[in-house]
Amino acid sequence: MLESSFEMLAALAQRETGQDLTPSKAYLVDARLANLVRREGFASTDDLVSCLKARPNPVFEAEIAAALLARTTWFFRERDALERIVRDVLPARLKATKSGRLKIWIAGGGTGQEAYSLALRLVELSGDSGLSGARIDLLSTDISRRMTEQARDGIFGHYDVQRGLSIHRLMTHFQRLETGSWRISEALRNAVSFRVQNLLDDAAVLGQFDVIFCRHVLSDMASATRVAVADRLAAQLNPDGVLMLGHGETLSGTTTAVTPSRVVRGGWQRPEAIARTVAA
Amino acid sequence: MRRCLVVDDSRVVRRVASRIIEDLDFKVEEAADGAEALTLCRNAMPDAVLLDWNMPVMNGIDFLRALRLEEEGNKPIVVFCSTENDSDHIAEAVRSGANEFIIKPFDADIIESKFAEAGLL
Repeated sequence: MLESSFEMLAALAQRETGQDLTPSKAYLVDARLANLVRREGFASTDDLVSCLKARPNPVFEAEIAAALLARTTWFFRERDALERIVRDVLPARLKATKSGRLKIWIAGGGTGQEAYSLALRLVELSGDSGLSGARIDLLSTDISRRMTEQARDGIFGHYDVQRGLSIHRLMTHFQRLETGSWRISEALRNAVSFRVQNLLDDAAVLGQFDVIFCRHVLSDMASATRVAVADRLAAQLNPDGVLMLGHGETLSGTTTAVTPSRVVRGGWQRPEAIARTVAA
Repeated sequence: MRRCLVVDDSRVVRRVASRIIEDLDFKVEEAADGAEALTLCRNAMPDAVLLDWNMPVMNGIDFLRALRLEEEGNKPIVVFCSTENDSDHIAEAVRSGANEFIIKPFDADIIESKFAEAGLL
């Protein structure tokens, strides 16, 4: 890959997702874009870059930025954290809201495994008294239109459905297709909304949330971007809402918008929510 | 150290699976068919069995049914590992006493995930 191609892609990544691609990571770029280059019929990464220079295309640029992140996920990833939200946080929020309606946002939800895991768990617990009568809206967003469409279709490959899903859950909630892939049930597809959203853009239009999951997304970002995005996520939290980051991720010392929750391990809340918990 | 029995008539599959399972901290034994596996189990019940379906002499499902009738035969956690992928076969395996089911082909991530689902990790 030409140096000028790398520079162009690094600038694109910085702009689209806040990813910091240093020249020492140049070797990763070809590998991460290989699928996309092949799929779209380019001869090489350099070929892709020269076409993009000749004809800029914002949708395609977002796909390139998503491919450069090379994020991967699986069903029921870090399930202890999911369980704490579903078992502890949601019933408490439900009691506090009175409307019976709760909103969850999975920011950077990729191909949908995180959102579908939550939806599936909520179905399993629907008889549970702590959540009975609740109407829970699940929104999963991602920068990639392609991944968002894939998530909405709810079709997963052989390897995806065997990572994190028990055979019981697979047989109960998925149907095997002729192609050998598996499709998640219509009920679960209807339980989640998917939408294309860049986390660097204003999120006010999405509304306020009781829980926001943003796991293993911020760590790809340059630190200034990370803080800006964290502040933006915090702004979309209900006053007592909880932001869940990935295992090992922290915002300590970078922002005053959220601080570690005293209610849920691994969660972050707005400082005024923490103050209320302490007062109570 | 916990013990896992890998039952498959393909030597290549046994070798690949054994290596993955050893990395999960199991001592691994191998058997090429259900009858051989049953003899090994009667000798000493393993903690886990990774079990192919189609094998000569005694197939996986017959082995599993026989195993579950043995004294202590409910002790091993059995993870079926087969190219059979339709719901009838999977349901039959579960009815016959399988704890988990891997659809071939598999990789290390799948084995680790399924062993975790079955409570082995």
